[in-house]
Amino acid sequence: MTAPVLSVRNIEKRFGGIRAVRGVSFDVHKGEILGLIGPNGSGKSTLFNCILGQLVPNAGEVAVSGRDVSGMRPSDLNKLGVGRTFQQLSVFPRMSVFDNIILAGQEHRGTMSSRLFGAPDAGLTQDAERMIAFFRLTHLRDELAGSLSYGQQKLVDAAMAFMAGPSIVLLDEPAGGVNLTMLAHLKDRLVTYNAEHGTTFVVIEHNMEFVMSLCTRIIVLAEGAVIAEGTPDEIRSNQTVIDAYLGG
Amino acid sequence: MSQFLQVLLSGLATGSIYALAAIGFALVWQAAQTVNFAQGEFVMVPAFFVLIGMGFFGMPFWLALAFGLALSMLVLGYAFKKLIVEPILPHGGITLIIATMALAILLKETVKESYSAEAQPFPALFSNAPMNFFGAAVSIQDILNLIVSLSIVVVLTLFLNRTRTGRSMQAAAQNPAVAEILGVNVKRMVLYTFLINAALASLAAFLITPVYLAKFSNGETIGLIAFIAAIVGGFNQIRGALVGGLLIGVLDNLTATYVTAQYRAALPLVLLIMIILVRPQGIMGTSEGRSV
Repeated sequence: MTAPVLSVRNIEKRFGGIRAVRGVSFDVHKGEILGLIGPNGSGKSTLFNCILGQLVPNAGEVAVSGRDVSGMRPSDLNKLGVGRTFQQLSVFPRMSVFDNIILAGQEHRGTMSSRLFGAPDAGLTQDAERMIAFFRLTHLRDELAGSLSYGQQKLVDAAMAFMAGPSIVLLDEPAGGVNLTMLAHLKDRLVTYNAEHGTTFVVIEHNMEFVMSLCTRIIVLAEGAVIAEGTPDEIRSNQTVIDAYLGG
Repeated sequence: MSQFLQVLLSGLATGSIYALAAIGFALVWQAAQTVNFAQGEFVMVPAFFVLIGMGFFGMPFWLALAFGLALSMLVLGYAFKKLIVEPILPHGGITLIIATMALAILLKETVKESYSAEAQPFPALFSNAPMNFFGAAVSIQDILNLIVSLSIVVVLTLFLNRTRTGRSMQAAAQNPAVAEILGVNVKRMVLYTFLINAALASLAAFLITPVYLAKFSNGETIGLIAFIAAIVGGFNQIRGALVGGLLIGVLDNLTATYVTAQYRAALPLVLLIMIILVRPQGIMGTSEGRSV
């Protein structure tokens, strides 16, 4: 049996006397779309940041495709095929959409001299054009990313996360602040990308309709600990989850 | 008309050198979100490195220039970033700004005490002979200073916009957390920015010191004018710093020639007040949001 794409073991993170994440463990397998849900303050983003090396956990291990990556820097994790999108907008506002997309792929290529004297597009123009077309951003290709609407910037952010050909992408509240039309478009693109490339997703989301229709499996966190795990239907009918999070 | 052209070209030449120092303000602001109030001294010190190369080590002028450039990048770029910016930045931008003010005093007093308090002659890169330019008598030095400065700005702009490293540097400046996630080595990009700033300051020094002579207090004037030029043009834009530098250089010369030379030192300050009142983000700058 192949190793999980992402394996999280007993992650513990404390801020002073507060245990933000309490011994969380889970595996994510190739092609899965895993949802991480829970009320505000349940430790979802802290867990994400521990997985991605942006916070150092007090205990626990993280492995990507069987390789221990605990404590690894975000830039090194990216080179191992781990991408992420952000809750807040994360484009480079004074660069064009095209340059944003190129940048997201260029760090995996070339030598020091090619960075100075090689082709400025790092040979990625065709890939970038394909990615821009896939997210239907062609008409915005040369616009400054900072001039786009919030929803459009979310699409650019997603396109950037996929540009380096990651094996797993962690999406932090992709639906936050996005209007319904754009949200349907974003979901359609994520599902299509997952089907075409077998890329694994881990999604933090508060929009229940979005997460229930997108994910194949869901983990529910409350007060830093896992309180339930299962398919969307199982989670909807789980009394503990209803009491702690979903409500009547 | 020929006098106007002469004054205009001379102003552009001086202004383009101010622009090199002003661009340094913009670069450091983008890389570390701080203002380097020792920038003027960064333009003063390299001239003394060259004089040390020639006087103490007996180097020919061209070799002393290379020595001055390399030493400036080491001391005013690498060491400045490693010994001052990196340890102090986590304590806040204001703390770092105060540290750069202290550094300015340290550099000034060190040069004064260890080299000389007197103005020192500095060899010119280009001949000061006049040439006829559309009927105006303009010095070759002015024309070549202008060409060299503008060429440096063009090369820098091409580097930042047309190379992968330049794009990574822009990304690291605009959104360091995301750049890091995408695989950009943000620390290295910030170091490149400080090295480029030191190189620009050195080149500005090599061009302007033959005119002003090498003196420990040169940084006060150059630093102030470059700071104002960066604000007038737009602190977060390289092209803004260029426009600000050129504008101040030209207005300074035009005022001194056609109005009065008595208040020429006040002109940049008047321009600064006007810009802050009318367009605080600067002529070419874009407003930056800050949340509290």
